[in-house]
Amino acid sequence: MGVKVSLSKVYRSRGRKGGRDDVFSLNVSFEVGNELVVLFGRSGSGKTTTLRCIAGLETPECGSIVVNGKTYYDSDSGVDLQPQYRRPGYVFQNYALFPHMDVRKNIVYGLKGWDGAKKEERLFEMLRLLHIEGLEGRYPSQLSGGQKQRVALARALAPSPDILLLDEPFSALDMVVRMRLRERIKVIQKELGIPVLFITHSPEEAFSLADRVVVLHEGRVHQSGSPREVFYSPVDRDVAELVGVSNIFEDGDVVGRSPEGFVLEGRGMQFVTGSDVSGSDTVSWGVRPENIHLMAYDKDLLSDEGNVFAGTVLDVTDKGSSKLMAVELDGSNVVLLCDVPTRLLDDAMGSRVIVKIAAKDVLVFE
Amino acid sequence: MLEDALIPLSITLKVAVLSTCLVAVFGILISYALARRDFRGKWLADILVTLPLVLPPTVTGYLLVVLLGKNGAIGSFLFEMTGWSLLFTWHAAVIAAFVVSLPLMVKTTASAISAVDRELEYAAYTLGHSELETMLFVTLPLAKKGILAGIVLSFARAVGEFGATLMVAGNIPGKTNTMSLSIYTAFQSGNDTLANILVITLVVVSLLSMALAAKFVDRWSV
Repeated sequence: MGVKVSLSKVYRSRGRKGGRDDVFSLNVSFEVGNELVVLFGRSGSGKTTTLRCIAGLETPECGSIVVNGKTYYDSDSGVDLQPQYRRPGYVFQNYALFPHMDVRKNIVYGLKGWDGAKKEERLFEMLRLLHIEGLEGRYPSQLSGGQKQRVALARALAPSPDILLLDEPFSALDMVVRMRLRERIKVIQKELGIPVLFITHSPEEAFSLADRVVVLHEGRVHQSGSPREVFYSPVDRDVAELVGVSNIFEDGDVVGRSPEGFVLEGRGMQFVTGSDVSGSDTVSWGVRPENIHLMAYDKDLLSDEGNVFAGTVLDVTDKGSSKLMAVELDGSNVVLLCDVPTRLLDDAMGSRVIVKIAAKDVLVFE
Repeated sequence: MLEDALIPLSITLKVAVLSTCLVAVFGILISYALARRDFRGKWLADILVTLPLVLPPTVTGYLLVVLLGKNGAIGSFLFEMTGWSLLFTWHAAVIAAFVVSLPLMVKTTASAISAVDRELEYAAYTLGHSELETMLFVTLPLAKKGILAGIVLSFARAVGEFGATLMVAGNIPGKTNTMSLSIYTAFQSGNDTLANILVITLVVVSLLSMALAAKFVDRWSV
């Protein structure tokens, strides 16, 4: 059971006259269970193409796609089922509701060959499941964004699909609606027990929603694991950046050990990490902005302990609930981005601060 | 006198209605193929269909004579099989009207079909509907305004067709003398009264068809 995907395809788009063609190669493989899977990556990383290949709306050049034991595509044996025979529940980014049909007709459109009474029963079951009772007579143009999304979901789920595919379904919705729908999706996945593949480029959405996160970057799967794994142990620089680790030190040296862990040196600064790096000489590491603690400058706070630095605030961006500060560390050209709760420091551009990072928050990759 | 006006009217309506029906069916299929399918020689098909729009009708008519005449590629075959020649019958007038009005139908319909969001068709596929079902119940209903516009334009073009009809069907009284041809004949022979009656009738027919179409568009608007 579950979904096994392995596909590759090369896309060429003709470049400008005299210029080179753009080549994008998709080379994706992952295996997931009947769980809520988030395909996470920037736009252009191949998330949507992967989803379309699973649905049969696009054909890969080679590979195989198996959903719950049923082969949708296999280049070796020449199997390539039409979307009509895969019948995935597919929620499109722009909802793709039929504008000339009311909500009722949209939802029952996938119930081909059902008799009238059963159709009606299923319609109301779906309306109840998604809390959209009473909307069945309306046309898509008369619905709000959140309602359209629910109708699209109801239409996708009505024929009891083997798999549910959602392409950035909440990108156009406001925060509150988005949070509610997220919960709804979680509940539905648990109830139906089918694999749900959900595309997003929002780290927050990936983290809060997923049982498993598959990280795509430039057409390749870089990491696949629980949200905790992906967010706290990114395997490489690209994943680290995607999950919001913005302070990155590349190709530093492992120079020794300390009571808290290993000592790393890069760009003239020494950091202590809690991660085990025995066996490697050179590593890259990073720190999340929200894991950096800032305090007003006090000479007594400086110590020989690891990860305590003095610095100067270069820039402050107020984000409302917190402030993003750029701090230059003394004796180096290293600038750390720090996300600090608004109430902790007053607006302090140019002021002196102490920077403190826990050894466990220095994430090592590669 | 009245009969002199009524016979051309009935020939014109017969020719225009029939050719518009053919144009509607073939035009929709050709437009769908041009807008949604990839096939070899698509550019050539596009050019061939559009050509009568840019050629003078007499040239189109001449080419049709070459094709459909007793020595033509299609005409000789038809003559051998059935002993029947198409030229200078009202059927030839239908074919002439069909050929000259097809590009108007295809251009409007193909652009209307292209404007339908492909995701809607994909959505229908994932819901288990075949390409034909999707075309009939999703694509065409959403392109219906363009299709109707194409039909109206084609009908108007068929009613007004002159040059190509003259070449392939002649101007045979009681058989192929459509209104446009009869107006020319009446005017040439100095029969101004008949010319006036025919002109007024033609204008009324055109206005009626436009009004009818506008009413349909109104009713179809969601």
